[in-house]
Amino acid sequence: MNDFLQNNGFLIVTMVQQALLAMSLYYPLMSGQLSLASPGFYALGGYVAAIIGTVEFFAPWRDTLGWVIFPLEWLAAGIISGFLAVLVGIPALRLRGIYLALATIAFVEILRVICLNLEITGGAIGIFGVPQLFESRWSYIWTFGPLLILMLFFSYRLDHSRVGRAFKAIREDELAADAMGINPTRYKVLAFVIGAVLAGVVGAMSAPFLNTWNARQGTFDASIAYLAYVLIGGSRSMWGPLLGGTLLAALPEILRPLKDSRLIINGLVLVFSSIYMPQGIAGALGHLRSFTARTLGFVRSEK
Amino acid sequence: MTTAQFIQNVLNGVSIGSVYAIFALGYTLVFSILGIINFAHGAVFTLGAYFTYTLAVGQFGINGLLSGLNLDLQVPFALSLLIGAVLAGLVGVLLERLAFKPLRTRGADSLLALVSSLGVALVIVNAIQYLVGAEIYTFPSQVYGDIKPAIMFEVSGQPVVVRTVQVIIFAVCMVILTLLGYVISFTRIGKALQAVAENQTTASLLGISVDRIILVTFFMSGFLGGLAGTLVGTSFGIAGPYFGVTYGLKGLAVIVLGGLGSIPGAVLGGIVIGLAEAFVPPDYSAYKEAVAFAFLFIVLLVRPQGLLGRSLSQKV
Amino acid sequence: MRRSVLVTLLMTLCAGTAGAENVTTPIPIGIGLAQTSNVALLGEEQVVGAKIAEMYFNANGGINGTPFKLIFQDTGGDEAGAINSFQNLINRDKVVGIVGPTLSQQAFSADPVANRAKVPVIGPSNTAKGIPQIGEYIARISAPVAIVAPNAVKQALKEHPGIKKVAVLYAQNDAFNTSESGTFQETVKKMGLQIATLQKFMTTDTDFTSQVTAVLGANVDLAIISGLSADGGNLVKQLRQLGYKGPIIGGNGLNTVNIFPVCGQYCDGILIAQAYSPSADPKNAINAAMASEYRAKYKKEPPQFTAQAFTAVQVFVEALRKVEAVTKKKITQLDLAKVREELNKQILTGSYITPLGKISLDQEGEIHQENFYVAKIKMDANGKTGKYIYVK
Repeated sequence: MNDFLQNNGFLIVTMVQQALLAMSLYYPLMSGQLSLASPGFYALGGYVAAIIGTVEFFAPWRDTLGWVIFPLEWLAAGIISGFLAVLVGIPALRLRGIYLALATIAFVEILRVICLNLEITGGAIGIFGVPQLFESRWSYIWTFGPLLILMLFFSYRLDHSRVGRAFKAIREDELAADAMGINPTRYKVLAFVIGAVLAGVVGAMSAPFLNTWNARQGTFDASIAYLAYVLIGGSRSMWGPLLGGTLLAALPEILRPLKDSRLIINGLVLVFSSIYMPQGIAGALGHLRSFTARTLGFVRSEK
Repeated sequence: MTTAQFIQNVLNGVSIGSVYAIFALGYTLVFSILGIINFAHGAVFTLGAYFTYTLAVGQFGINGLLSGLNLDLQVPFALSLLIGAVLAGLVGVLLERLAFKPLRTRGADSLLALVSSLGVALVIVNAIQYLVGAEIYTFPSQVYGDIKPAIMFEVSGQPVVVRTVQVIIFAVCMVILTLLGYVISFTRIGKALQAVAENQTTASLLGISVDRIILVTFFMSGFLGGLAGTLVGTSFGIAGPYFGVTYGLKGLAVIVLGGLGSIPGAVLGGIVIGLAEAFVPPDYSAYKEAVAFAFLFIVLLVRPQGLLGRSLSQKV
Repeated sequence: MRRSVLVTLLMTLCAGTAGAENVTTPIPIGIGLAQTSNVALLGEEQVVGAKIAEMYFNANGGINGTPFKLIFQDTGGDEAGAINSFQNLINRDKVVGIVGPTLSQQAFSADPVANRAKVPVIGPSNTAKGIPQIGEYIARISAPVAIVAPNAVKQALKEHPGIKKVAVLYAQNDAFNTSESGTFQETVKKMGLQIATLQKFMTTDTDFTSQVTAVLGANVDLAIISGLSADGGNLVKQLRQLGYKGPIIGGNGLNTVNIFPVCGQYCDGILIAQAYSPSADPKNAINAAMASEYRAKYKKEPPQFTAQAFTAVQVFVEALRKVEAVTKKKITQLDLAKVREELNKQILTGSYITPLGKISLDQEGEIHQENFYVAKIKMDANGKTGKYIYVK
């Protein structure tokens, strides 16, 4: 048991972390917006935590607060991300579809270049020696795990709430929703901010997890990876990002025995799953469930 | 800034801008017909350069499955360029059949095409590395014949320079632009392309084989990508399998600025961004990278159809 | 209440099963380098060096008769990949030590993990400040080339006494090049010269026209470049093509024959600050052996990354031999945890004659290297092959 955790602890925690980042994409997607901005907020959150953790200015705080500094870092990261999301979101969210996606991609790149060049973010080297909350990588499950459970619970409640229904209405037909009295801008910004805050908090939790933080944590490649998680996992329910994030994050590691060809196989998996599972894995499982139910003669009421 | 410095910056800007433009041409072609961004374009661009290199030089290094391979084919450069581009075009077609067509027939979300093309890019780039390793390959310096490496002239007593190979890239870019413009406006296949870009259903009702047009588009896009890759490779060398992929991101900014789907827009966008980067004051050169994306962001907010794109109308 | 008892029971059970384990034969040494992603440009050279070392030392008796084996786990180009690679090597492959990772940034991420697991790590190419200080199990044999940079400048002044204005260019997205350039800039100022222009670029850049035109516009007498092979080579080529005629100093990143295909004939005359030279010291037997092995297989001179990876493996091998001498037991008879601990102790003591010359490691894990060289590139008439002629 201990061996299994030793060997795979880091990977398992990474899977949970990636699932959370996939969820940060899911909330904007719920209201029909393709936002690829998560890596930007993730990087920002990580820098907030790394800076609070290492810079002289915060040393007295670190000494007096002990481990409480960590939740404080998460809070700071969340607030700053949320604030930036409102600032960026209000002008940008007037765009739709691929145009919004491109605007968020631009935002991530601009943020990355800025972080690459500031003194406080350590420039190209980044910040290292980030203080640790736990000794072993596996123990970080105690930060990411509860956050995941919290977000799943939150998504469930959101799904069944007025706000959730407003999101879905906007996703289905923005004009009609507007005509029905739902203010699209307000809800779209809200969805965007939720995603951003989540990404920021995950970033703040990840800086100690990875021991170091630099501008390479928030790149376009990461945006596409998260998009793949949501699309391949399934974008219609909260289980989709969870499935997509965990499975796709584990894939390069599972394929490790294949050595040189593992990334080729990884690419092929992306191609095949987008072709043969267009509803994502969650969608495919949903089909399987209803197929099994019908075949086995159970009567199930559709929600 | 003196006149000489100004002209120098303009030359620099147009030089690098032509590189962006020539990359963006194939990129925007696919978008204009299918409305999707083909993330594998950067990989096809890279592949074109490698194909041409194999034919013209053929000496590989010490890593990868084909290590030590020395195909002294010595195909003349112009022919290698052509064959390399054709091969890249065929890869484009293959890419369409395997990764995009199945999604179209199933009526899948167009976003899945993004993920699928990304998967293809990953496969191609890693296959290249698997076969020939990640070393740097360069074309021999005399591929364009016996010409001077740079053109130098004086403006009010101060020297202004430009590399010849960049002039060649600019010239090729303009020629392609003109040719494409001619093909699209004046030939039957060009008009069919326009029709499919406008509305696939109507086009097919009018008897145009939409499937065939899409194939032609991907061939052209791959051909242009492979051509561009080789030309850029002669200028800067082939710095490993990822050398084309890095243009992919900036390419997005270029085609949006120019107007998604507009071919002259791609060229204009490339040159504008090249100029913007060239005029960044040296003290802020660190932020050059962000210039293209600042442009992208602002254009999207202010004028999403870009410089030459058609005005987007709200669909009711 | 009952649940916490159960948890405690479970944990003691788990702790109890972590018993002593022996080291397997052949003795496993871990290699965690970038074999995929665009960092593989550097990683591939290192892998070659490690493999040559494996062949060479096993042919020369291995660890006092016991052969050793290199276990490769790709780190990819990012931090998480490096951690995964290290964890696989430490827990699954049960290696006695690790050579890697390729990038300093990856080291900041993965080395603490190895340090906490008490597994010795030798960085073959991590040159950023603060790496050996990460922990007592972390060492490196890649010298912060700050030491040799001034020599290159002195040599340039010797050849061109009239130098007054200098252009300094560096890759700002690379930790090593940024810090190396810092040293160059200080040296230039200390020698009373003027930095007429300071240009930045990225290692992924290919077009340097604006930097070059700025250099030409500033009318400098010397250009100092800190970059890697693809970018550095292109920069030199474009400088020369656009008419710069003065001397050029290349930093340690340009110390590889891999710039020859990039700048071709234009590489001629570059002064390079070297932490490794394939032929400067003909009396260095192990360097001669490694270089001839490399030349026979690959028909060119071994690059610095290859030599450094070779050296890292060599340090492990020689330290393992010392462990057997000191404990008077065979490695395979010792418990894995004990081997790792003893190995780390032995790495940090004594000196080694390596392809890099004579080196030693201090208690912090920092390398002390005796031989640095300044060389000048001499290209052959065909513009494809060339040599580094040792100058000082």
